[in-house]
Amino acid sequence: MSPSQKKRFAIVALIITGVSAATFFAIMSMQSSFEYFRTPTQINQDGFDEKQTYRLAGLVRKGSVNRLEDGVTQHFGITDCESDVTIQYTGILPDLFREGQAIVTIGKFSTSNLEQRSENGPLLIASQVLAKHDENYVPNEAADAIMLQQANKCDDAEGAVDY
Amino acid sequence: MNPLTIIWNFLSNTYHRLGSPREFYTISLYTTPVFGFLFLVLSLFGTYFGLFVAPADYQQGDSFRILFVHVPVAWMSLFVYVVMATAGAIGLIWRMKMAFVVTICSAPIGAAFTALALLTGSIWGKPIWGTYWVWDARLTSELILLFLYFGIMAVYYAFEERKTAEKATALLSVVGVVIVPIIHYSVEWWSSLHQGPTVFAEGGPKMPPEMLLPLAFMAIGFMFFYGYALFLSMQARVLDNERKSRWVKEIVSGKTN
Repeated sequence: MSPSQKKRFAIVALIITGVSAATFFAIMSMQSSFEYFRTPTQINQDGFDEKQTYRLAGLVRKGSVNRLEDGVTQHFGITDCESDVTIQYTGILPDLFREGQAIVTIGKFSTSNLEQRSENGPLLIASQVLAKHDENYVPNEAADAIMLQQANKCDDAEGAVDY
Repeated sequence: MNPLTIIWNFLSNTYHRLGSPREFYTISLYTTPVFGFLFLVLSLFGTYFGLFVAPADYQQGDSFRILFVHVPVAWMSLFVYVVMATAGAIGLIWRMKMAFVVTICSAPIGAAFTALALLTGSIWGKPIWGTYWVWDARLTSELILLFLYFGIMAVYYAFEERKTAEKATALLSVVGVVIVPIIHYSVEWWSSLHQGPTVFAEGGPKMPPEMLLPLAFMAIGFMFFYGYALFLSMQARVLDNERKSRWVKEIVSGKTN
């Protein structure tokens, strides 16, 4: 390389290093705001603000889904296998909704229905329920086995699971 | 001479020949149709195997098949950016004419791949997630990539003088390359609605071979499409850039070279 090429090489390298460093520090200082959702354990540990809208994700807890008498409102628990939050949602659930499926719920925590706060954690009144499918793609024939395995995921989990 | 030296000499020779607009033009007349043909063959195979041979997914059923378009175009949106920024750096350091042409011609192709990735993702998201769009880290960073491509295109056309425009465009593409690792790792660094990596996951692909095969066909096919579109676009730009030289005048006036 000629001297002027070396100089320009150094400038380009410097620009890339500088921009990467600046981006790195910017991201590190805003780390938590890039998170899309919180987990039930975070809510149960840190508490919540009734006025704030939360995005909360967890696995649909086995045996927790029940429909209220009005026919369109559902109650179910979501869990990270360590702690739970109960969700109340009026509307159509995503097709992928089932026991053991990871879902994201968006809504506010209830303060009025204190009697509904059971041992299954605080009650979130969801305005939206989204399905978060994972990165595994499996042929249809194995569907029953893998769904059963997912529904029982918490049975042999030690501590909080990722989803 | 040992074979490695022969290969190296061939590559080095080709690289230097491609550095000349005229040589590039001649070579590309032969390679462009080959790229287009390979794209057609590979993507037809990929489409057939993806739609008819690969089994349906256990939870998403047949709707997961949009993956065979969504995933390759999303990979390409990043791949094109890396090529564009690398060419930009080469152009800035070695003042190589053709490197700037690669950068400028890649931007609209990359923007198209990014827009397709966002569009197919959105179409896939509605039935499976239950929403067209969320502001999670992956989707937002990919949207920023689209605007970055638009910005790079806009910078080139904002300058009267071509050499200034080329340098400014190359510089912006080099600065923006930091978005590539952010998009790639966004699903691992932060929680998101978008799934984590399936193919380049730790411990191997989380997908059976009969789904992986059509995906590979499509991915390599789209890579040839990029080569095809890039070379076509570069041919036009080279003719325009070199319109005052004799060889271009001869081509334009219909004389064969």
